[in-house]
Amino acid sequence: MSDTYLRIEGLTKRFGASTAVQDVNLDVRQGEMLVLLGPSGCGKTTTLRMVAGFVEASEGRILLEGRDYAGLPPYRREMGMVFQSYALFPHMTVAQNVTFGLRMRKLPKAEVEARLAETLEMVKLASMADRYPRQLSGGQQQRVALARALAIRPKVLLLDEPLSNLDANLRQQVAREIRGLQRAAGLTALMVTHDQDEAMMMADRLVVMNEGAVQQVGTQEELYERPANPFVARFIGHSNLIPGELAEGERLMLPGGGAIRLAGGYTATGPCTLAIRPERVRLCGPEDAGARVVATVEDATYVGAHIEVLLVLPDGTRLILHDPTDGGAARRFAAGDRAGIAWDPASERLFDSAGAPLAARTPVPA
Amino acid sequence: MAGIAAASEGAAPARASTPAVVHRRVSAAAVLVWGLIATGVLAMAVPLVMTAYISLFRDAVVVFPPSGYSVSWYARILEFPRFGDALGTSLRIAAMATLGSLALGIPASLALVRYRFLGRGLLNVLLLSPLTVPGVVIGLSIYVLVVETEIATEVPLIGSDLVLVLAHLLITVPWVIRLCVANLVGLDRSVEEAAANLGARPWSVLWRVTLPMMRQGIVAAALFAFIVSFENIEMTLFLIAPGQTTLPISVLQYLEYKVDPLVAAVVMVQTLVIAGLLLLLDRYVKLSRIV
Repeated sequence: MSDTYLRIEGLTKRFGASTAVQDVNLDVRQGEMLVLLGPSGCGKTTTLRMVAGFVEASEGRILLEGRDYAGLPPYRREMGMVFQSYALFPHMTVAQNVTFGLRMRKLPKAEVEARLAETLEMVKLASMADRYPRQLSGGQQQRVALARALAIRPKVLLLDEPLSNLDANLRQQVAREIRGLQRAAGLTALMVTHDQDEAMMMADRLVVMNEGAVQQVGTQEELYERPANPFVARFIGHSNLIPGELAEGERLMLPGGGAIRLAGGYTATGPCTLAIRPERVRLCGPEDAGARVVATVEDATYVGAHIEVLLVLPDGTRLILHDPTDGGAARRFAAGDRAGIAWDPASERLFDSAGAPLAARTPVPA
Repeated sequence: MAGIAAASEGAAPARASTPAVVHRRVSAAAVLVWGLIATGVLAMAVPLVMTAYISLFRDAVVVFPPSGYSVSWYARILEFPRFGDALGTSLRIAAMATLGSLALGIPASLALVRYRFLGRGLLNVLLLSPLTVPGVVIGLSIYVLVVETEIATEVPLIGSDLVLVLAHLLITVPWVIRLCVANLVGLDRSVEEAAANLGARPWSVLWRVTLPMMRQGIVAAALFAFIVSFENIEMTLFLIAPGQTTLPISVLQYLEYKVDPLVAAVVMVQTLVIAGLLLLLDRYVKLSRIV
């Protein structure tokens, strides 16, 4: 993309012998919300802190509008950060908190006042200007933290787990508010979260990280439909991961015996992993022509949105299936029954032993 | 089986009476706890109450029972040998020791909590170690050191406020560090990062964010430093110049040849100074949250 605004190149951070962040390369476009997603300890927060300037990179560059930010202290970076703990100044009022960055910039008083009013209006806290942080609810404190970061009109908005301290029912609303403000201001934003739903809700694009390395970058749909490796397949949504041996390009031999008839034809052979999402799997009769494998129904649980069916493959591997509650097939089967399992070719993902996706040789028939 | 059955049968009536038993046990525990609390409070209060009591005796010689009561000793407090002089010296030394220990202790606490450096552990131990050495030993050691220095340099040191303040710093700095470190450890570092993120330079972060957030710890530290210095007697005894005196020392010297209600009144005044200070500070910082 030509409109890269913030570029991260080969960013690496080592703490002693361990590597927290390994060769991260990212392009953030102007006005985009890029969300770093991963389990705790995956390096996403360290990456964000390197961008903010709190952690010095061992290697790599951070380029904003083409300028290298390495070595620039945090107070010169013009980045507004919203901290997980909000990090409000406890001894300052809401107004003093919000204007702190403006006062540090020695803006004229009239300008400070104007921006304060404008920012408080934006986050709907105009009536709270004289309160202290401890007199505010969690959601209000969060909005003060956001207002404080927005008031300096940052070049990049950094969000570190901004929703994790909020009540579950407030989270969606605040997520939408933050997203609305970021879009309205045309702000480029980098957010970190471990929560997949949050990430999906907020992001223009997502970056999945694990063990310090970027696993995949893409839109929600790209990550969900075409995960780059088994980790992403399991981390974004849920996936059944079934290890086996690829035979004749179209059958997955299960390690304990039995085989799965694959939808696509593959050129590779050898050990690989099949990833298939629970909601993309259907039940059918064991003799049905569409059945890719026959399994035993172990249990079925009605969980509201769907019926969760637990199946056992011939070699003992377990597989989870989400069957629609309206008109699904699960109700026709009882525990202990044999059932055929089917899926569309487009839902099937196969990874080689290194975790790289295998392309189907034949264009998958519908 | 029979045994179990018998036991459970036997337990049945007992269970009916259990609430009463439990209740009685709780009461016994409560009596013990309250007894201990009362003993503790009594042990702390008796000397103070007795002093206050004696200070109201009419007779110049302390006898029980007193022939009558009077507040006249308080009116005659200025008759106590060099009362104003001693009190002034005590307050002056304590104020200087407090300021000095804050000036040393706050930066030291910041360094100890915020930075990892060679010898940090050693420094930590050294800064707290004066609390573990008896004051008399420190006082004597400093005295010897000061005398030797005087002989070597011919600069008169004994009897100067400087030596006394420096000596008091030895016992006040550990308190300041202890309280400030405890305070700093509890602070959210990201608040300081937020200040830097918003454009504050390091000194600005320290002045506008870190120190204001340490206020509670600093006030508590100042308070302890003041009291520790004001009440010190062991070290001061060695370092005071002939003719110079602090309030605790003049009380001690007075008691060597005389016990009368006047000295009790003086001690009460000293106690009230400290108590007044505590009350004043409590208006700014809730002491119950610190100590």
